[in-house]
Amino acid sequence: MAWYDNAAAPWNFVSRKLITARMITMWIWLAILMLGGLAAALITGAALLLLVPAVALVLGGWGSWLIVRQVTAHAWAEDEEDLLVRRGRMFRSVTVVPYGRMQFVDVKAGPIERALGIAKVQLHTASPGTDASISGVPASEADRLRDRLTTRGEARLAGL
Amino acid sequence: MTDTTTGYVYRAPREWTRLHPVTPLLGGWVFLGLLLAYWIHNQLPAWVDGDNDNFEFFDRFPFLWLVLAAFLAFAVTIGVSFWQWRRTEYRIGDDAVYLRQGIVTRQQRQARLDRLQAVDVVQPLLARLFGFAAINVQVAGGQKSGVELKFLRLGDAEALRNEILVLAAGVKEEKATGDDAAGTEAPGAPATAPDATTADTTASSGIRSHLAERAGAMSNPEAILTGKERVRTAVAAAEEREVYTVPIGRLLGSIALSGATLTLLSLPFIGLVAFFVFRVDVVAAVGAAIGTSLVAIVTAAAGLLGFFWTRLNGGFGFTAGISADGLRLRHGLTETRRQTVPPGRVQAIRLYQPFLWRGQDWWRITINVAGYGEDQESVSVLHPVATREEALRAVWLVLPDLGDPDPYGTLGHALHGHGADGGFTTSPASARRVDPFQWRFRGVRATDRALLIRRGRWERELFVVPHERTQSLGLTQGPIRRALGLANVVVHSTQGPVTPVAAHLAVDDAMALLDAQAARAREGRRRQTAEQWMSAVGLEEGDAHG
Repeated sequence: MAWYDNAAAPWNFVSRKLITARMITMWIWLAILMLGGLAAALITGAALLLLVPAVALVLGGWGSWLIVRQVTAHAWAEDEEDLLVRRGRMFRSVTVVPYGRMQFVDVKAGPIERALGIAKVQLHTASPGTDASISGVPASEADRLRDRLTTRGEARLAGL
Repeated sequence: MTDTTTGYVYRAPREWTRLHPVTPLLGGWVFLGLLLAYWIHNQLPAWVDGDNDNFEFFDRFPFLWLVLAAFLAFAVTIGVSFWQWRRTEYRIGDDAVYLRQGIVTRQQRQARLDRLQAVDVVQPLLARLFGFAAINVQVAGGQKSGVELKFLRLGDAEALRNEILVLAAGVKEEKATGDDAAGTEAPGAPATAPDATTADTTASSGIRSHLAERAGAMSNPEAILTGKERVRTAVAAAEEREVYTVPIGRLLGSIALSGATLTLLSLPFIGLVAFFVFRVDVVAAVGAAIGTSLVAIVTAAAGLLGFFWTRLNGGFGFTAGISADGLRLRHGLTETRRQTVPPGRVQAIRLYQPFLWRGQDWWRITINVAGYGEDQESVSVLHPVATREEALRAVWLVLPDLGDPDPYGTLGHALHGHGADGGFTTSPASARRVDPFQWRFRGVRATDRALLIRRGRWERELFVVPHERTQSLGLTQGPIRRALGLANVVVHSTQGPVTPVAAHLAVDDAMALLDAQAARAREGRRRQTAEQWMSAVGLEEGDAHG
């Protein structure tokens, strides 16, 4: 069964650099865990503690696979009237946000994302339920996207 | 200005003005309340709290000291309140209500009238006893973006509300501050129709002519209720037509038929079963329970009583009406609230029927209004307990045109139907695996103006979302639903108690619904009522030669 691709506009997939960014964040935590487990095992001499780094390694492998799958499924499309955001493979979702409903647009980038030259673009409507964020947009494209969204939003602004 | 025999004309201040000087005195009583609680505690026989030590802290102090402390706290509170009152000022502009306040950090806030979502006149018990009221102006845009003015005289508050609503409706006054015509003609010249028409020759358009129309409809608009003074307002309240009221008997019945009552009534029964069937020494068990966790029990009891109290206080004397200013709701036992929600501000409606209400076919109707946000339970009720007929009327009140040739038939199917009757898209049979009881009862149907989502076999629930109020849409699917070929469609509404979801649709239906709904929302936005609702219907042009 095909998943949603009814957008008239082409889907823009997010940058693969997002994979790197998420991997770095995840592996930093796992590395701390592994080193901690290793150190504890060395100090106490309890072999059972070696399970900690092993489990962390397995989790890391699985997480890496998940990250690749998630990032390659994350895309957005700019239709005539709406912005469409698609995400996830296992738990997948499509969000349709009319430009006229946008209250404001955020562009965010943490240190790792900045180093890699990507950013997160987040749209806000009057609804707290609207989950319309696009992670891993190339930084230059992010600014252009924000401007485009803002212009379209102003042109079609429809109150609440 | 004030003529005690004929009253005076209140006019919303265009200059910075303080709230009513009684304001600081209406707070701070809580400390005296604490004192009273302590006194009552002292009067109670010893067995009530036994040897628990919740009050031990107090027992160490002599009563006199506590009295002194309470009065000191009271005095300090009043003092601070007074200082706060001195630093709080408000004014009305043509585009916004301004409020500045704060002792240490000054804060100025403006509630833009073109973003106005609702205006409430609230009277807490104490304020109500003395004829005062607070005004809450709710505007769209995040938490705490509204303006609360407390306290004003009740009459002034209502007059202010009327004026805010007229300004927000887009009926502009020609000279905003100018010669203060209302002030000069004030004493003994109530703003009734003939007076307003003479005023028309000088200040031709705007509020004045609009007023003439309104005042003509109501002979003596707001000769108000404080008893002591008769306030006349520069802008009369829009004529209101009552649509329904909730009889007290039905309200009490609805509270009696609630899960909380059931819980309460089942307790002795559980006790009896425990005693006779399981041979538990109930008295000892209860005693032990109280001994170990009095706090938990008190909290639970307070929760239950709180539920009853909220339902009773919120639903008491509930009256809904329709006026040119929009929906009007009045309710409250101790604290009364008069809400005005202008046309097109209701974002979504939920009709809910708990299992126990099925016999009576009662419905509880809640709404999303953008400005109310978190402050939900007390303010987001459109009808605390509606008969079926009233439920339909309540939906009509919010959505006069459902965009369906047979609105009553369609809503009937939405409230009670199951399966595909009435053009509903239902869940496929594969949904039985995740939703065994109610999959036949789930259904979605779009009319020309709104989306209807229903569910529930034993308890019933119906969401009504006007297309032009849809914020955004979502389509979600997890692994289990994917295996069964199902998906959910979520309609994102503004913050509030109503969160519409159409769950367990067939994937193809869900995707089609998403596309169709996006198109319908687009169409809806095009014909959306303007934020300034009076200018939308062209009242201004009509007034110019009226």
